[in-house]
Amino acid sequence: MSVRAPVPDFAGRPDFDSISQVEGGEARIAGSALAMGARVFVENRLAVAGLVVVVFMFAFCFIGPLLYRTNQINTDIYNLTAPPSPQHLLGTDSLGYDVLGRLMAGGQTSLEIGLIAAVLATTFGVIWGAVAGFVGGWLDQVMMRIVDSLLAIPTLFLLLVLAAMFTPSVPMLILIVALVAWLIPARLIRGETLSLRTREYVDAVRVMGGSGARIVLRHIIPNTIGTIMVNATFQVADAILAIAALSFLGLGVPPPSTNWGAMLSDGVSYSFEGYWWLIYPAGLAIVITVVAFNLIGDAMRDAFEVRLQKR
Amino acid sequence: MAQSLVVVIGVTVITFVLTRLLPGGVARAILGPHASPPDIAQFNHDYGLDLPWPQQYLNYLWELLHGNLGFSYHLNETVVQLLSTHLPRTLILLSISTLLALVVAVPLGIMQAVRRNKLEDYFFTSVSFALYSMPPFWLALILIIWFASPPANLLPPQGPQGDISTYLDWDQMSGLILPVASLALVTIALFSRYMRSSTLDNLVQDYVRTARAKGVSNAGVLYRHVLRNALIPIITLLGLSLPGIFSGALITEAIFNYPGMGLLFWNSAQTRDYPVLLGVTVVVAVATVVGNLLADVFYAAVDPRVRVTG
Repeated sequence: MSVRAPVPDFAGRPDFDSISQVEGGEARIAGSALAMGARVFVENRLAVAGLVVVVFMFAFCFIGPLLYRTNQINTDIYNLTAPPSPQHLLGTDSLGYDVLGRLMAGGQTSLEIGLIAAVLATTFGVIWGAVAGFVGGWLDQVMMRIVDSLLAIPTLFLLLVLAAMFTPSVPMLILIVALVAWLIPARLIRGETLSLRTREYVDAVRVMGGSGARIVLRHIIPNTIGTIMVNATFQVADAILAIAALSFLGLGVPPPSTNWGAMLSDGVSYSFEGYWWLIYPAGLAIVITVVAFNLIGDAMRDAFEVRLQKR
Repeated sequence: MAQSLVVVIGVTVITFVLTRLLPGGVARAILGPHASPPDIAQFNHDYGLDLPWPQQYLNYLWELLHGNLGFSYHLNETVVQLLSTHLPRTLILLSISTLLALVVAVPLGIMQAVRRNKLEDYFFTSVSFALYSMPPFWLALILIIWFASPPANLLPPQGPQGDISTYLDWDQMSGLILPVASLALVTIALFSRYMRSSTLDNLVQDYVRTARAKGVSNAGVLYRHVLRNALIPIITLLGLSLPGIFSGALITEAIFNYPGMGLLFWNSAQTRDYPVLLGVTVVVAVATVVGNLLADVFYAAVDPRVRVTG
């Protein structure tokens, strides 16, 4: 059952005839699935817009600081919470840091953690789900009940418990977010594996003497590439939101490193003073980035026509 | 049913393992960093922490079954006592906002489905998409800035602090408006999107054509036939969105300083009050499992095409 509602009537429904090529064969086929996905993707204007926004965000955060040089190391106590001015285009925060520069520095952390956590979570989840689905039997039962049990704990509660137990550094934060996020891909891939493992080409590999590991790694996982890619994209959006929430609640990256959530957390104390530049820019940066990743994910789901389960 | 039980046991295993993974162990967490090794050994012996792990787990489960969720050394109260004052507040917040979300989202979703690909549909789809991608705490912050700070000053910026019995007083009730709104807005975005696609799925069914052919009016088809069928998946959606609603409550309570279970949990995370953290986690997880089970049972009761097996 998909909670992220599949939109049944999107304009320009692509031609899925070529999807039959995806089934069977080895990694080369995954390549053609990617090519097909890319083609459908480009036809979807919203997705291209999302991609443009993501590229822009990366450029803004990683190339921006080269063009717009600010001091993000030393505080400037003569310029606390200064309103936007030609020197500080988006003003300064409660420690005197330039907000626009901080937005770039914070964005680097947000994007890095989001991407790495999503890749980690997806990789681990995919392997977990494929092994459970492929091996089946009691191992499948045990592995999936672990997933179910972890999923029963609301995400934010689990995140906070872990963040309270293991004082976060950036790598630790990535691990914590990934530890919570791998469950959905595990469940999705296990479901797909259950249907894939009965295909003729799996029997064929077995007859030819291929090992279980070879079947899982070279045949089953490449054939779920659509689900994997779509889910990974949503994972990035979710991870960025998760880090923002954790940092906002004061259990994220420790200073002097910052991210968009932490910037908002600093801004909260000033919400009554009308210092809008401490609240709106960081929040908008999160929303724009997350919307962009979600648009890309939605378009890729249409491209691969996979129905995804999503909290 | 059996599966739910397995998941509940799984949750207790996870919280048990988490307590044993505490940096420095339980004794260190409670006695503090300066406790001497003999003290720690004595503590471990007193609380059965030197027993083999399986034995410890069974003891832990035994305590849970007897309603002992742990003891907060920070607040000097049992977790059950803490929950008995905090949980009702959270339940009030959650039930009001979820009901409100349903009341708004169901007609909204139907309207969008009927007027699909028209201006209204695009407008509300974009709004839901933005709300859905918005960090809930940012939404709450914006609500505070717009409605609860100068120059507007319309509503109090924090939730009611008093006892639940006083909630009917206006100054307490008005404090609930912003927390409820910020929780409900996100839920409306999710529910209306789902309601829209559920209605669309039903509008193309054969029974709709049959009803039309029999001369039922458009409104009749919509409210007597489509609405009933389109509502069924919402039951499952309610069950599935429980964890998300709990997480939303945590954030909302933290921002509006509303003394419910979420705020208790957040404060405990900051003070590293592990017994409260893990006790509340067990409660929330069990509530989620029970909620999902109820949704399944209810679904089968409402829709005779579905019968839960096993």
